[in-house]
Amino acid sequence: MVKLASEDFIPVTGDDWYQRRREDAEGEFFRKVADQGPRKGAGGGTRQGIYCFTAAGKLLAYKNAQDADVMREVVERALADWKKLPADERDPGAVKVGDAGKPDKRYHRAPPADGLILNVYTRILERDGKGDYRKGSCDTAGGDLSARDHLWLTKGEWQALLPKDVKAGDHFAMPAAVAQRITRYHLVDDTRGEPPFWSAEQVRKAEMRWTVEEATAATVRLRLDGEALLATDADPKKAERGYEARLLGYLEYDPAKKVVTRFDVLALGDHWGESELTRGARAGRQPLGVAFALSKGDKPADTVPPQAARDFGAYLGK
Amino acid sequence: MFRTRLTLAVGALVCLALPVARPAPPIAVNQFLELQALVKPNKSEDKWAEIPWQASLWEARKQAAAQGKPILLWEMDGHPLGCT
Repeated sequence: MVKLASEDFIPVTGDDWYQRRREDAEGEFFRKVADQGPRKGAGGGTRQGIYCFTAAGKLLAYKNAQDADVMREVVERALADWKKLPADERDPGAVKVGDAGKPDKRYHRAPPADGLILNVYTRILERDGKGDYRKGSCDTAGGDLSARDHLWLTKGEWQALLPKDVKAGDHFAMPAAVAQRITRYHLVDDTRGEPPFWSAEQVRKAEMRWTVEEATAATVRLRLDGEALLATDADPKKAERGYEARLLGYLEYDPAKKVVTRFDVLALGDHWGESELTRGARAGRQPLGVAFALSKGDKPADTVPPQAARDFGAYLGK
Repeated sequence: MFRTRLTLAVGALVCLALPVARPAPPIAVNQFLELQALVKPNKSEDKWAEIPWQASLWEARKQAAAQGKPILLWEMDGHPLGCT
């Protein structure tokens, strides 16, 4: 499937929440393709699924499935149909595609200029007999895999993490806006579907403190220590959903090149509860890990917006 | 006596049903890399990420036209490369 998708197709992914709403050339093209299939988005409903189509917009195959064998069958059938098309529909350069024009800003997201992108991974864990963490298991298909998201920081936000003239042993607090973004939008259980985010009042604790471990002309290295408590009730014992975690992280900066070379953060603790789109949570409090790591930002997939960026103003704290 | 036992039994059941408060212990510095690796996807579960996915449908369309290939679009509510 990997070889087939990589070599015989131009593979692309999309979040239907944006695609079905955007009023621009890309949105119109997508809906033109989707309307040839069974999911026409009646009433603003989802059009999610696997689509195979031509650059001119002719639908070859559609299936709403995530099973690898089913996907392979759909893609192979589409490729067979593609090969039957006349040359003027499939030869290189036969179809002319111009610029898309102005995107619909309401439903178009781009990483902040000169900002930082962190890859975010979330995984359910469990404790072994010694109390050490290991990968967890659950009844939901795929719920034991590491889930993905991205964290975006603006240029001003990451630069604020590196005060001038710091020296080893200095301490300072994580800027509140960044601490809020991490806790509200990224310390979530997205391992079984689209997660609910925490409201500002559900952030019961978000203490994050940087310590300067090294500050030389060659490098600045910071360590992050933190604690977070997210809960749907002020009394965590009564909360239907919550996450109580410790954080540890490291940031390294090259002063000469003015670039962040490392930004790793790990949150570990117990999560409990579920939501409408994340049914199937394990009973009670269970370990959940969230790992953040600096993205190279050199692949199109790196530019995929954070799940919480649908409400972009709120995500950026504006 | 029976009532006491019943009360204890019911109490125990209630305790089992409720989330148990267990403050998270600090993450040991010397375990950081190992724990971080545990949370991240491993190669076997990351196979699909080897596909050179585009993130822009219009850019994919331009490439498909130029290279003479069909487009494979994976469209989900919640971005396939960014949510779950």
